[in-house]
Amino acid sequence: MPKPRRALAAAVVALVLPLSACGSGGDGGGSTDASGKVEGDITFQTWNLRANFKPYFDGLIADFEKKYPGTRVKWVDQPAEGYPDKLSADAGGGTLPDVVNVSPDLVAPLAKAGLVLDLDKAAGKYRSEYLDGAWASHQVPGMSGTYAFPWYLNTGPLFYNKALFTKAGLNPGRPPKTYDELFADALQMAKKSGGQVATLANVPTFEDFGRYGVTLMNRQGTAFAFNDTKGVELLTRYKELYDAKALDPQALTATPESSGKKFLTGAVAMNPGSALDLDNFKKNAPSLYRNIGITDQITSTGHVNMYVMGVMVNSRTKHTPAAVAFAHFVTDAQNQMSFAKKVAIFPSTAGSLNDPYFTKEDGTDETRVRIAAAKSLKNAVNYTPVLFSDQMKTALRNEVAKALQGKESPKQALDNAVNAADRLLQQG
Amino acid sequence: MATPVRIRRQLSVSPWLFAAPGLLVTGAFVLYPFVSTLVNSFTDRRTLLPGHFVGLANFRELLHDDMFWTGLRNSTLYILGVVPALVVLPLLLALLVQKNIPGITFFRSAFYTPVVASIVVVGLIWVWLLDERGLVNSLLETAGIGRTGFLSDQWLLLLSAMAVTVWKGLGYYMIIYLAALANVPRELHEAAAVDGAGPVRRFLSVTVPAVRSTMVLVAALSSVAAFKVFSEVYLMAGPTGGPAGEDTTLVMLVQRTGTGLTGRVGYASALSVVVFVVTVALMLLVLRADRRDES
Repeated sequence: MPKPRRALAAAVVALVLPLSACGSGGDGGGSTDASGKVEGDITFQTWNLRANFKPYFDGLIADFEKKYPGTRVKWVDQPAEGYPDKLSADAGGGTLPDVVNVSPDLVAPLAKAGLVLDLDKAAGKYRSEYLDGAWASHQVPGMSGTYAFPWYLNTGPLFYNKALFTKAGLNPGRPPKTYDELFADALQMAKKSGGQVATLANVPTFEDFGRYGVTLMNRQGTAFAFNDTKGVELLTRYKELYDAKALDPQALTATPESSGKKFLTGAVAMNPGSALDLDNFKKNAPSLYRNIGITDQITSTGHVNMYVMGVMVNSRTKHTPAAVAFAHFVTDAQNQMSFAKKVAIFPSTAGSLNDPYFTKEDGTDETRVRIAAAKSLKNAVNYTPVLFSDQMKTALRNEVAKALQGKESPKQALDNAVNAADRLLQQG
Repeated sequence: MATPVRIRRQLSVSPWLFAAPGLLVTGAFVLYPFVSTLVNSFTDRRTLLPGHFVGLANFRELLHDDMFWTGLRNSTLYILGVVPALVVLPLLLALLVQKNIPGITFFRSAFYTPVVASIVVVGLIWVWLLDERGLVNSLLETAGIGRTGFLSDQWLLLLSAMAVTVWKGLGYYMIIYLAALANVPRELHEAAAVDGAGPVRRFLSVTVPAVRSTMVLVAALSSVAAFKVFSEVYLMAGPTGGPAGEDTTLVMLVQRTGTGLTGRVGYASALSVVVFVVTVALMLLVLRADRRDES
């Protein structure tokens, strides 16, 4: 072939190759039938759990392999940072592990891409073992089916710094219980400290709008609706806090880690957290720990926010029975209970929250937080819809920041955020 | 015994064999992603969903995307803020450390240290320093100036990130200038001194013309790097790109739009193509300006 033609051919190949990515992906999937013999090698991926819970997972895997001879589980753990990116790289490259630790918002795009096994079909017999709400948490609007076994649930109290409350002339034994009280206390705290101590360190998130009683989506789940009167009211009140420095000036760019650090150093008086944080306070801020106050999440709906973790099965696994059996094994009542006793999380299996471990006081702060959280979980809600993507979260956060800075009215900001989220929703 | 024809054939093949590993790596990690990005920019591809050809729709959309204009503005401001400083300051620094005096190696190493430090570490250190309760603000408060929102004000945040970029880049360009200064004939300086030129005059009339091509090189390198800035702004402004995303740069926008399970790969590719076109244009502009000056 003459040289120019060869060069042309090479250029065409280089151009055409990437186009192959535009076609529908090849199937190459395994069976959706989970009723066969449980055997084969599978891979199990967790989300930042190896550092603290290696012995637990080693034992869990050994138990499974003993129960099902002929199986072998390879455990991989990924760091918390960039976990969705790791999943998308694996999914795109066809190297998604057989069993994967996910949250509902991560399941939705994977299920839409056909990469997740529908457990209603493949493992519907286990459904009654879980709390109804937990089982439903991994369903995707617009799709039939359930795409992950519910694993652990979490919620958390609101921590507050009693010393800062006292300094501001507030009663440290009577923390705010309603939004009205929270906003009033926050304004007083800012006034008394001359703007040096903020009460909150984060801008309102989607969950905050939910807890305030804002309608988040329409009934059909096809469009967002958080720009209603209540939504505008919440944002207007947050703007008052921001102007009075009752909301930390760096809240517009804060992350959960940075606001946690501010609470630790006494720059902020209240911060959401979990029972896990108590250990951190004890080790890193003993003086704060001596002054720590614990109160319930503030909610106007009577339902606190709940976070759900799940375990999904890759629809392209070559060993569907083993993968489904293992995902169920990880999340069954006995193993969830055993995990809950090692870390401050809560089982999603039916009846587990009635265990004395979650109901009986022993006088310690840890137990008090655990019991209060377990109690509130019984009617808790996961306010974040599974279709609320990272891009939508960024759009909301940016519009909220514009409203707080006074660049837009709260109504305009929320209208813009809803439009942006709807546009992204329609784009799939 | 090899015939002349075989020898000739071997001679024509062997250079390619030597080049093959490099060509393969370049093809796989440069050419293929480049072409792939170009193709994707004409599709509505998502991270996990195959795309369809949409023509110029992505490019039309970005013209109406406020965040694109914010990113373009910030990336351009970054060039304007960073490049002059990175052309001039390292040259002055190089002149300072060029002298062979006792202990100068320590200073050369000290100025070069930020270059080898991880950008993440550098970013975190500066975040601690510039925090509302950080060292810089404590000093300002002690001096009676009061605390300043380096990390909460849109413009101060961008300026702070630029300062970090300059601080980290000084040593790197200083080394380039040191090499260039070593080639400036000493006689020229001596002749200028004999003619009565002072240090400033000697700098302007001897040193600057002698290192002019190096200054152009530094301008070209630093302007491309400035336009593609990501880490400094990301670390200091947070993943949202500052308050209301106002400090987002174009590359941050590419990252935010195109990654994750719901990433809009097609749209992010269109943004990347714009970044590519602008950086190539920048290089051509600087080189053309250099050529015009020379002629």
